Amino acid sequence: MTTRCFRDESASNIRQIIVLSISASLVIFVANRSAVADNDRGAQLAATCASCHRLDGRDKGIPSIIGLDEETFIRAMQAFKSGERPSQIMRVMSRSLSNEEIATLAHYLSTLRMETKRP
Amino acid sequence: MKCWTRRKFGCFAGATCLAALVPRVARSQVAARVVVIGGGVGGATVAKYLAASATMIEVTLIEPKLRYTTCFFSNLYLAGLRSLESLTHGYETLAQRYGVNVVHDSVTAIDPVGKTVALEGGAKLPYDRVVLAPGIAFKYGTIEGYDETATQAMPHAWTAGPQTKLLRQQLESMEDGGVFVLVAPPDPFRCPPGPYERASLIAYYFKQYKPRAKILILDAKDSFFEQDVFQDGWNRHYPGMIEWLPGQFTGGIQAIDVKGRLLKTAGDTFKADVANVIPAQEAGQLAQEAGLADQSGWCPIDPMTFESKLQPGIHVIGDAAKAGNMAKSAFASNSQAKVCAFAILAALTGSERFAPHLFNTCFTFLASDDAVTSVISYRAEPETIRINDIFISKVGENAETRRKAVREADGWYAAFTHDVFG
Repeated sequence: MTTRCFRDESASNIRQIIVLSISASLVIFVANRSAVADNDRGAQLAATCASCHRLDGRDKGIPSIIGLDEETFIRAMQAFKSGERPSQIMRVMSRSLSNEEIATLAHYLSTLRMETKRP
Repeated sequence: MKCWTRRKFGCFAGATCLAALVPRVARSQVAARVVVIGGGVGGATVAKYLAASATMIEVTLIEPKLRYTTCFFSNLYLAGLRSLESLTHGYETLAQRYGVNVVHDSVTAIDPVGKTVALEGGAKLPYDRVVLAPGIAFKYGTIEGYDETATQAMPHAWTAGPQTKLLRQQLESMEDGGVFVLVAPPDPFRCPPGPYERASLIAYYFKQYKPRAKILILDAKDSFFEQDVFQDGWNRHYPGMIEWLPGQFTGGIQAIDVKGRLLKTAGDTFKADVANVIPAQEAGQLAQEAGLADQSGWCPIDPMTFESKLQPGIHVIGDAAKAGNMAKSAFASNSQAKVCAFAILAALTGSERFAPHLFNTCFTFLASDDAVTSVISYRAEPETIRINDIFISKVGENAETRRKAVREADGWYAAFTHDVFG
């Protein structure tokens, strides 16, 4: 039998995104309902970020957004929204998210950790 | 260091609620089967995001090619700024890290009643859901004399790989002072800024190696995406080298004499030393054969799930989908694939559904140190997808802004292809 080793955070992050999505309905019976739904929602929102930002902590050309404290992330997104921090791409992205979605995303991304060396 | 098998990981996800699993056991014992057809950006993304859902969903990806070369950034190869190898990606990671069952074969038929997908190799795969990401097909016959055989003399190079290589070879062989003609297609087509980025980057190559060469764009349209930004870039970087002729001026391209290298419009006939003919497009052939396309040639879908409006249980994503105001681009395909994956997960597992977020972002090169961006967010409505917010680079931006976009574009390519294939 082949044993696969999910040692790198990239694989486990993406796996976490989806596993949390599908396990929401199962966990719901024993966990706090809103916490699970928030994590699930955070994971799906984070998937949209992954089109540009690597979620394994690598940041060539485009900055990493994982592992930040929630307040820093929320402040940055609000600054993009208002135009105080100039980036046309991030302005459009941030304006498409509600404040509630930004808070959910901030919490989710803060829990992701930088990738260790790949096997 | 934790070392988990796929099965163990699935157990971990549900381990805290074994008792609660009981009502779901009957369902979770039988893995739902999703067959993804087409290993381009849309297909690979949806397969990856579905397969990462561990044991409950069995994902099979059908793709005849062993490796995929991205059409986006292939104009940089034509300019000599990137190798084709750097644009080519395999499916090993999808198989090894995410457990996608990658099958290199071609689909001959989809049976929506028996819910099976038949392969050229003889296998018949049962499915609960199919995701079709067939990309585009060329409407040969819309220009007299330009058929599939003609692409070997006058490449379209609108699917990346051998066609792109052929065009590059022809450009390299062309004499200084030669004329390169690019035939730009009618709407809608894959990558709206693509033909004009191609003209820009081929001009970048000519400027260095064949400075007396000319570029003539024969367009089926009367205007094009980011037209003012492109024309400003052409004037600044390549003055007098690129001429664009709109459809209303020429009457449109009517016929091509491949041997004589002649391109005939309603009025004039143009002689090319090298010709790149990008024909009109429609949804990929399999979508047509499976009855997924309507009279427009594209596939109508439910904007919330990308499920076909013509065949229940079959989802269509990417260039082939008729997705309202969404551009046909790799970024849009990737965005649609995620919305589709989460909708399928919700349908097959009962997980909660959230409002879909759809985006498109393009990095477009005018020269090696001059790139522009466009970014659009979309709103999925019950019947269509509309633009919610949009930004497009403007004429007159400073040089540092454009250089920064080049750096971001390089970073984006690495991150994006990692999101799709890595």
